[in-house]
Amino acid sequence: MYYIGVDIGGTFTDCVLVDSGGRHVTAKALSTRTDPVEGVRVALTRLGEQICSDLPTMLASTSRFSHGTTIGTNAVLERRGARVGLITTAGHGDALAMMRGRGRVAGRPIEEVFQVHGTSLPAPLIVPGAILELHERVDRTGTVVVALDPERAREEIRGFVRRHQLDAVAVTLLWSFVNPVHERLIADLLTDVAPETYVSQSVDVSPRLGEFERMVATVINGYVGPACGRYLGDLADSLHRDGLETPLLVMQSNGGVLPAAAAAATSLGTIDSGPAGGLTGVASLARAYGHERVVATDMGGTSFDIGLVLDGQPVMAEENTVDQYTYRLPRLDVRSVACGGGTIARHDPATGAIRVGPESAGSEPGPACYGRGGTEPTVTDADVVLGLIRPKAFLDGRMPLDAEAARTAVRALATRLDLSLEETAAGIVHVNNMRAATLIRQQTIERGQDPRDFVLYAYGGAGPVHAFGFAAEIGVQDVIVPLGNGASTLSAYGIASGDVVRYVEFERSILAPFDGDALLVAVREAAEAARAAMVDAGIDGRAEVSVVALMRFQEQLVNSLEIPLPPPVGPDTGRELLERFNAEYQRRYGAGGTGLFGVAEVYALRARAALASSVPPVAGTSGSGRGNGTAADTTEVYWPAQRRWLTTQVFDGPAFAEAGQVRGPALVELAHTTIAVPPQATLSTGARGEITLRLVTTAAASTVPILEGTR
Amino acid sequence: MTATTEIVWDGVQRGYIPGERLDISPNLALHERVTDTVDPVTFEVIRYSLLNTNLEHGRTLQRLCVSPITMLTRDFQPSITLQNGDLVFLGPYLQYFSNCQSLTIKWILENRSENPGIEPGDMFLSNDPYVGSPHQPDAVVAAPVFVGDELFCWVANVLNHADVGGCDVGSFCTRAEDMFTDPPALPPIRIVSRGRVQADVEQLFLRQSRLPNNVHMDLRAAISANSVAAERITALIDRYGADVVKTVMTRVLDAGEQTFVERLRQVPDGEWSHRIFAEGKGLGDDGVYAYQLTVRKEGDRLFVDNAGTDPQAGSINVAYSGLLGAFMCALTASMTADLGGAYGGVSRRVTFDPVPGTLSCADFPAAVSPAGAYTMETLISLSGAVIAKMLSCASPELQRLAIGPANPAFYATITGGVQDGRPFIAPNVDNMIGGLSATPHSDGVDFGGHFWIPEGIAGNVEELELLWPMLFLYRRAMPVRADGAGRYRGGRGFVEATIPWSVPGLAAALYIDESFPRLVGPFGGNPGTVGRFRLKHGSDVLDRLGRGEVPQDFDALTGELEPVQAKGPMLMVGAADVWEWTGANGVGYGDPLTRDPAAVLRTMRAGGLDPATARRVHGVVLTSDGDAVDESATEAVRTAALAERLEAATAPSREVPTVAPGTPIRPIGGELGVVERDGLPTLFVSVTGRAVLGPVTGNFKEHCAVLERPTSEIGPEYVSPAGRAGERMRYREFLCPVTGLRIDSEIVRPGDDMLHGVRLAVTP
Repeated sequence: MYYIGVDIGGTFTDCVLVDSGGRHVTAKALSTRTDPVEGVRVALTRLGEQICSDLPTMLASTSRFSHGTTIGTNAVLERRGARVGLITTAGHGDALAMMRGRGRVAGRPIEEVFQVHGTSLPAPLIVPGAILELHERVDRTGTVVVALDPERAREEIRGFVRRHQLDAVAVTLLWSFVNPVHERLIADLLTDVAPETYVSQSVDVSPRLGEFERMVATVINGYVGPACGRYLGDLADSLHRDGLETPLLVMQSNGGVLPAAAAAATSLGTIDSGPAGGLTGVASLARAYGHERVVATDMGGTSFDIGLVLDGQPVMAEENTVDQYTYRLPRLDVRSVACGGGTIARHDPATGAIRVGPESAGSEPGPACYGRGGTEPTVTDADVVLGLIRPKAFLDGRMPLDAEAARTAVRALATRLDLSLEETAAGIVHVNNMRAATLIRQQTIERGQDPRDFVLYAYGGAGPVHAFGFAAEIGVQDVIVPLGNGASTLSAYGIASGDVVRYVEFERSILAPFDGDALLVAVREAAEAARAAMVDAGIDGRAEVSVVALMRFQEQLVNSLEIPLPPPVGPDTGRELLERFNAEYQRRYGAGGTGLFGVAEVYALRARAALASSVPPVAGTSGSGRGNGTAADTTEVYWPAQRRWLTTQVFDGPAFAEAGQVRGPALVELAHTTIAVPPQATLSTGARGEITLRLVTTAAASTVPILEGTR
Repeated sequence: MTATTEIVWDGVQRGYIPGERLDISPNLALHERVTDTVDPVTFEVIRYSLLNTNLEHGRTLQRLCVSPITMLTRDFQPSITLQNGDLVFLGPYLQYFSNCQSLTIKWILENRSENPGIEPGDMFLSNDPYVGSPHQPDAVVAAPVFVGDELFCWVANVLNHADVGGCDVGSFCTRAEDMFTDPPALPPIRIVSRGRVQADVEQLFLRQSRLPNNVHMDLRAAISANSVAAERITALIDRYGADVVKTVMTRVLDAGEQTFVERLRQVPDGEWSHRIFAEGKGLGDDGVYAYQLTVRKEGDRLFVDNAGTDPQAGSINVAYSGLLGAFMCALTASMTADLGGAYGGVSRRVTFDPVPGTLSCADFPAAVSPAGAYTMETLISLSGAVIAKMLSCASPELQRLAIGPANPAFYATITGGVQDGRPFIAPNVDNMIGGLSATPHSDGVDFGGHFWIPEGIAGNVEELELLWPMLFLYRRAMPVRADGAGRYRGGRGFVEATIPWSVPGLAAALYIDESFPRLVGPFGGNPGTVGRFRLKHGSDVLDRLGRGEVPQDFDALTGELEPVQAKGPMLMVGAADVWEWTGANGVGYGDPLTRDPAAVLRTMRAGGLDPATARRVHGVVLTSDGDAVDESATEAVRTAALAERLEAATAPSREVPTVAPGTPIRPIGGELGVVERDGLPTLFVSVTGRAVLGPVTGNFKEHCAVLERPTSEIGPEYVSPAGRAGERMRYREFLCPVTGLRIDSEIVRPGDDMLHGVRLAVTP
């Protein structure tokens, strides 16, 4: 049987197929924007060719088919979504436009936050003026203060949908997550008076405190829902016509997959699911490779994405911001900074120093060495100058680079900095690596983790060539290039291997010491709700349910710690939870804090119901580890840390597979990337085909803050 | 302290202004070595690390603090300074704190280095407004970072504590008469000694507060966050060496200075002034008080003074630190935002020469604690307005950097009471939603927040209702009307109404109710909204709720209006009482009669502006189907309105010539321009009417037609409540004597002189 993952990206559609022995093959095709279903079929046909099978035969033997789509994300970014309107509580319809006064800068990089000039609100998502305020009110306890008059509401809703010609309606009432009675009633009325309208209810989409974020979640869900539903329906039909017998599963930003119908009902979950696929793939591989703590890094042309795996699980975030709109939904915490191959280096006239980023040459015109008109020096140009990337071998020789253009661009900067060409190129790479390392360090230290305790996974086109630099900067010793040659299809692999997952969250304030029944009742309720959500999604089988308490000290509105509840729930649960919370708090912030603080509070619970994917662990590739392979070539590389040119062995994929292990200085040129192995480091292939770069670590580059010094 | 009776800028009798050289104990060794061999790559690595250390410092504060409002409004600020207190990096949080840590640290160096001494592992706490804090709730914690026995640099933070004592709940003591009824001010005291929190000192601070537990946790957060930042700097020093790191810090300062100087070179020498009035100096007073600020640019320096500001009075004062912080935050946001918080070098080029004993530079023992809600905003607004005037005379690139005035108050309320048997203090700072002023080239951003709190965020209604026993009837956008109109309109603010919920009542300690518009828009833009606070007792709100209605119109509710004063007593709010308040629309830019009719139509289509208001304010008339602008009718209405203005105005005393057709006019702003000779400005002129308005060294207003009338007559948006100061205030328009277009305007007390707002120096 086969397990297939398909990931539609902006340029390419990537597919991966894993067979029951854990062997995998990949295929790639250009994405087709006008008819994405067709692009998927083309890519799948190529995938079939890899295993000498036609499409129907392959699909008929497929036991699990998962898919990641950017259709929702694109609809928001390009404002091509449905005609959506908002129904809310009287007096609060403007909350969506007011954006809590932060819409001007939300989600913008720090450089822009300081600048008043040039920052503005994002374009609206709803049809201008399409807000209906209804007279109803619930208070913080869930008590109905003003009852909704259903007859009056029915007429108002009917007129509202008709007047604004709405395809979708988002319903977000104040305190609906405590008492959804009015929201449910309005949804029923909508179904009644406008049955063809897509209805998005906040209590289903994002039942969390905070009407603005809840409105955003509900509105975006309505905005992308109709298009996502149509597309997923079309794709499922097409695949089933072609022979697929299992349900189409769809990737979510939380790292799990859902059957297409359920995914269409909460389309918000597909937004930003692309980066989640990569991190999910890493988490699956890390389990197979036996890595508990992983920093997953994806360095591409313009951005550097990182995520963490702790105790085998990807780290979650509560919030997301898309085009300056912030909403709350549990998702994998993948953060981004503008540092990649296309990042531009320049001279800062005020300080005389070098600056790298955040501006990027992107793919058009791209780095100077692409020969498409770019003249400013980029990180990739620096790589070419240093010899880390050989122009003739870039992308397997499919795209020769203009080395002279790279040198010219970097030399111009070198002149202004009064440095040699090599020193300038090394400096560009070093500063870029330091920016990457800073993002990693912030995310690990924020969670009280020492980055030196992590294994770093490096993928994306510009990842393995720079990983030696930013890994050393944070003190990491082992760098994994996952799936070796298949690094660019990691996201598709993550999509194939993601568990079926449903999250259920609810706000519930429970104060320590948690000795009453309140906690147990709430935890059981959360777990039951998560199980029920699986059934609603049409998932059979026994789901594994885990519950996490979101905790802080009472009134600490901005802090949030996720504390897993120890299973099974019983009389000791409250005590154990409090112990875990105190331990985690002290681990992060030092012993100084907890004794002083007031009352610990559970302010929300998050239950996760999951059905494991059963995709077999990846197997090793053939031909690895005989240790007697020889380099295909040699080249001269200027190694930044050694600050000199060294004769460096060059291996291609087969030569490296033959060798099994190489000692730096060396370059290993794969189809989509180059792995740079600095002097003294070693690169080897493990039992499951993973490629490990082992660095010689020197300085302790970072420390975890200990705050108890002041106690 | 000497025995002389002369008052000096010592931080005791008068706000602290450090001298060129600090008087530091010889027992304290300072690390001052720099090297000239930092390569450009290492430089950038260290610069980026320091910048991020400061950002991480801010995030640590955010996570650990418990005062939700302080954290949402980013009412805090971490900094890194040199060993001598000069600012290296400021974070993207509340910007008027830019210099308060620097001042506090310099004072510590001068006054604490001998006794009790400054040692590794120490931290100092201060909330003394005469030293460095804008007002007492803003407590600074400063930590020296040592290399060996040399003081290498400082990390420090300041944050607004929920309550630090004084006569009013929440410590914005509007009713304080002097520092002895204001919250206690602690000059820098050593709260951490050699790594140990001093329990006695800590308790001294906590003992003053109505919410000691809350303050305790926030204070510990401040101490912890400093430790994190200090450790990171120590790690950098270990890796690169102290001299190298110090070189980078110093060069960051130099670079900021260099950037600022290069921009100053694009500004002609000259002098710019602005004036704003405040209403009520304290309990029951309805006087109107002037704050004035003048910036002179000469060569590559700015000189700032506050001459023309009224003498210190009541509780509407700040000490020097407040004036400095307000001006620098407007200056850096306008001119050097691209430095990303590395603002210390800018300060080197700004010289303050304030008149002491005034509202904006008060001497001890003037009360200052409400400054965070009133006077700081007034001064930021004043600074923004003056800087915008200066930039309007500069090169085209710099003209675009003008931000203009901010809201003149932090429209906010502080209420308090008892909930579930525990006291609560509810600082509602929803004016984080306030609108930005219009700019020389665009409308102000609606709900753009305060430009001086880049990351600030308002609470959700649900969050506020969870924290406090209240029910919000509405929180909606301000309509687009005359308030904030202009060629470009100001960003929209909000209005909200609230009732007590699940408690029998509560008390309103701080509320802001203005009776006249306090800001005019640049170059004839309309004033912004008059910020109102209204309270109705014994209303039918509960009955209406019971009948299935969520009341949406304050005026429609029955009940008795509280006669609110500018600075009134604490107001009791009963279970059936309703309060409503506004966060203002930002001011407009340029004459509203010159607004592009198509832009007016767009606003109408979006539902924010009605046809009658469009005609009244902008002279825009729509076609009978309402689908398009009626061009000829609009032209006719505008022409008539301008003629009416000139008819009512007093013509200039002398005949006004016009410049010859074809003579190029360089625009300054709105209808004001200059004619140049040999590339240097010589005459002010009006842009459309081409009227000559005198030499650039003079006051162009003397050559304008002047239309003066009560502010209440500008439009129904500006009508003063009966018996309030607003009934006396005057709106003065300076019109082009040829066209009647508004060139500038002022809001004044009767008989106030005509401000000389723009004056260019004659270059020899």
